[in-house]
Amino acid sequence: MAGRRGALLLPTLVLLASFLAPPSAQAQTAKPQRIVSLNLCTDQLLLELVGRERIASVSFLATDPEFSAVVDQAAGIPPNRGLAEEIVGFDPDLVLAHRFASRQSVEALKRLGYAVVEIDLPQDLAAVRDQIATVAAAVGEPARGRALADRIEARLAALPQPAGKRPTAAIYEPSGYAFGANSLADAILRAAGFDNLAAELGIGGYARLGLETLLASPPDMLVVDDTAADRRSMAQQFLDHPALRRRFPDGSRIAVPRRLWICGGSAVAEAATLLSRARLERESRRR
Amino acid sequence: MRALVLLWSLTGVLALLSLCMGPTGFAPGIVAQALDGEATGRLILFELRLPRALLALLVGGTLGLAGATLQGLFRNPLAEPGIIGVSGCAALGAVIAFYSGLSASIPLGLPLGGVLGALLAIALLLALAARDARISTLLLAGVALSALAGALTALALNLSPNPYATVEVVFWLLGSLSDRSMEHVLLALPFMVVGSALMLFCGRGLEALTLGEDTATSLGVSIRRLRSLAVIGAALAVGAGVAVTGAIGFVGLIVPHLLRPLVGHRPAPLLWLSIPGGAALTLAADIAVRLIGGAVELRLGVATALIGAPFFLWLVLRLSRRAA
Repeated sequence: MAGRRGALLLPTLVLLASFLAPPSAQAQTAKPQRIVSLNLCTDQLLLELVGRERIASVSFLATDPEFSAVVDQAAGIPPNRGLAEEIVGFDPDLVLAHRFASRQSVEALKRLGYAVVEIDLPQDLAAVRDQIATVAAAVGEPARGRALADRIEARLAALPQPAGKRPTAAIYEPSGYAFGANSLADAILRAAGFDNLAAELGIGGYARLGLETLLASPPDMLVVDDTAADRRSMAQQFLDHPALRRRFPDGSRIAVPRRLWICGGSAVAEAATLLSRARLERESRRR
Repeated sequence: MRALVLLWSLTGVLALLSLCMGPTGFAPGIVAQALDGEATGRLILFELRLPRALLALLVGGTLGLAGATLQGLFRNPLAEPGIIGVSGCAALGAVIAFYSGLSASIPLGLPLGGVLGALLAIALLLALAARDARISTLLLAGVALSALAGALTALALNLSPNPYATVEVVFWLLGSLSDRSMEHVLLALPFMVVGSALMLFCGRGLEALTLGEDTATSLGVSIRRLRSLAVIGAALAVGAGVAVTGAIGFVGLIVPHLLRPLVGHRPAPLLWLSIPGGAALTLAADIAVRLIGGAVELRLGVATALIGAPFFLWLVLRLSRRAA
């Protein structure tokens, strides 16, 4: 009997709470001041668009140097692991989330009446601009958003394109995964003057590209992140396979940190610049 | 003798077939390219396909041998490295060595971790079997040990700062030979050779042991020496194998059972026969894994379990019917 009463009590309380304290009510007009971001990609955009005094919490990945491009800016901001209960504790007036992460928490937060803005996985450069606009509008900084998107586009447009045949490259990730067509990394690769080998091999999005398949039709350059070498994982060790080392010695490898193409933001331009520089070096070596 | 030649020939044919397997099925063109001296072909054949075939042969052979040895030692037809928790503990030892960084700082640290895990498991089970020698007790202890090792493996990976932990638990629990390298072969080989030699020395002792411990002792067999040889041998071979391929189950169960009738149920010749038997089964399973295909390759341990688990169930039913 007590168990049944307990089972009824919880939803009643949740319902009551959502009536008594509609947290999004006052967030409609003024700029949100206690923003919580649940996802690395929204962390990065948030830190580029608003002052840190308006940020209540960022995701725990924001201070992880392997994945985050904003480690320094995020230092000292309380971290969260995307659990609904801890988010409620920050009493946010705006929650930024990713459509593919923390689904249960995001649904719970919406049910509780919090203002949640979600972003998608950007698949090309136009989507990056849209995404920046979405977040900038939500935080009340549309002009800053436009300026950020313009800066990124200008940097990409300034990169030289090859005069003759475009070299091929493959972005090879731990465990042998590669970015194919319809991915942001593919767009970055092309902006830097490369053709994406993985896309030519029929890979879409982010999928496994076997070592033997890669060696049988090798790209001109292999893009590998070796900044995480100190982290022991079988996935990372895979990139040390002797066959891969032999076929792609240092001269045919480009080291681009993974954190530069996980999300859409200024890191995108940085990744493209690194790639473009490596392509030009390769061309001057061959001349 | 004829069975031995036949099994080794089968193993040879399967090894050659394995070299002809590409990631999406039969692709012998690479072998021809490699023999022509073409660089890409040589790289794929010698750095990818050869270590894979060698590891299947070595791991399968030692698992078959270890199964035959443990079944003789425990006088229990269901003793198998995977089932009684030895492979699971070997995987745990390797996991601790790998993710703690021990394997990076000590040469041979990875196989040593696996060997230590396997050794602890067998010693524990032997102590238990000395007090209660029933088949079911060993199996139940194995279930508990496997579950504990699996849970600790997941825990160790969870605690490591490794974003790929969830995927990697699957490797250690189900085993795989894909994308292994010659370095892995060389890492495990010495342990496997020494371990196999120790287990092969057990032949005469295991024969005598079938008559009971007292009779064996009166025949001049030192039970204690036999036990140490078998335990250390099996731990070396299984531990090193699991450390480079993850735990591959049921090979050590199926192989001795299929081959036992061929040698008149005598443990000594069964040991020799179980090596090519295990190698052939593992090579065949690893070829099947690549034929089935799919977006991500099927784990070898899944393939061996698909054959092995029903076989195990059938064995249990047969044993219980005989006991009734």
